[in-house]
Amino acid sequence: MSTGTIPSAAYDDMPYTRGELVDRADVGALVQSAVDGDASAWKALVEGLSPLVWSVVRAHRLSDADGHEVYQTVWFRFAQHLGRIREPDKAGSWLASTARHECLKTLRSLSRLTVTDDPQLLDRVSEDGSPEQSLLDSEEAAAQSERIRRLWQEFERLGDRCRQLLRVLMASPPPSYQEVSAALGVAVGSIGPLRQRCLRRLRARLDARGTS
Amino acid sequence: MNDDDHTLMRDGDDGAGGFEEAVLEDELRQAAAVLDPVPEALRQLAVEAYALHDLDARIAELTFDSLLHALPVRGATDVPRMLTFQAGELTVDVEVSGDGLMGQVMPPQPARIEVLSGPGAGARLTADDLGRFTADAPPTGPFALRLRTGGHVVVTEWLRA
Repeated sequence: MSTGTIPSAAYDDMPYTRGELVDRADVGALVQSAVDGDASAWKALVEGLSPLVWSVVRAHRLSDADGHEVYQTVWFRFAQHLGRIREPDKAGSWLASTARHECLKTLRSLSRLTVTDDPQLLDRVSEDGSPEQSLLDSEEAAAQSERIRRLWQEFERLGDRCRQLLRVLMASPPPSYQEVSAALGVAVGSIGPLRQRCLRRLRARLDARGTS
Repeated sequence: MNDDDHTLMRDGDDGAGGFEEAVLEDELRQAAAVLDPVPEALRQLAVEAYALHDLDARIAELTFDSLLHALPVRGATDVPRMLTFQAGELTVDVEVSGDGLMGQVMPPQPARIEVLSGPGAGARLTADDLGRFTADAPPTGPFALRLRTGGHVVVTEWLRA
């Protein structure tokens, strides 16, 4: 019945809602294009999946130096294996799993030496140079920034398990549960209930602080 | 494992109250984008890593890593890292220590070797007729060896030194 104005174009322009499916559906096609020599397809893969890789690295609380090297290693290895990956549409899981293993290897080698300090993420909000800083120009944005800072603070105070899970879940675009599973080595079926519990716990913390 | 696995809906198992949680998760996503984004230099490196894509090269897979497979030596601080890579019948043993890098190609044969540390060109080495090679400086950070031997190109799997 539809004639003339077709709404589907508008849907196409919509960013992912909560459906990572929209974004992830064409990962396999992008991998294939990159294998065939399309550099822009590779770039799109980096744009879409590097926040996931970064989230996995951060979830494991490596030092900055270690984290940067793990991130690079993962992408170098992905480029190297491109075209040999058995399930190209699961490239996100491949990356997440590779990142996890590199993180665990790093932690293992560190445990023989000394423990490095956790990076103080909260300090970074005052660093100059990020485009987000321009947000601080207005008072409203300052309030928003304060809210985000408090949220992050309470997030950081969660137990290891919740902090790790949520750090991976908050990658953008949102990772699929299979990717989360690959990133953390937990069963897909346990992620939903765990997520729910951790978010509730975080909400309770915020409420206790009176910042809900 | 079936093909539907990756299409698992995330919202389906949230049940009642899922909306509020979704909002909170989204706030966390925004917070991460502001407070802990992918560093721009790293993102750029990942883009450039496309140059490492080489379908003509064979990959020598890591089959032994002393970091994973060997017991730690009590009291020893600078224990060399032992690595073994394998591509078909070709084996490359590598030892990385503070003093540099030593390696052995098996079966013994000469090879031209490049020590890669990223998408750019790497330091060049030569393996002698017995397949032995050394470098004075140890690799730091991600590295891979690209070997040219007998008309083949073999690249070891990327890993951290």
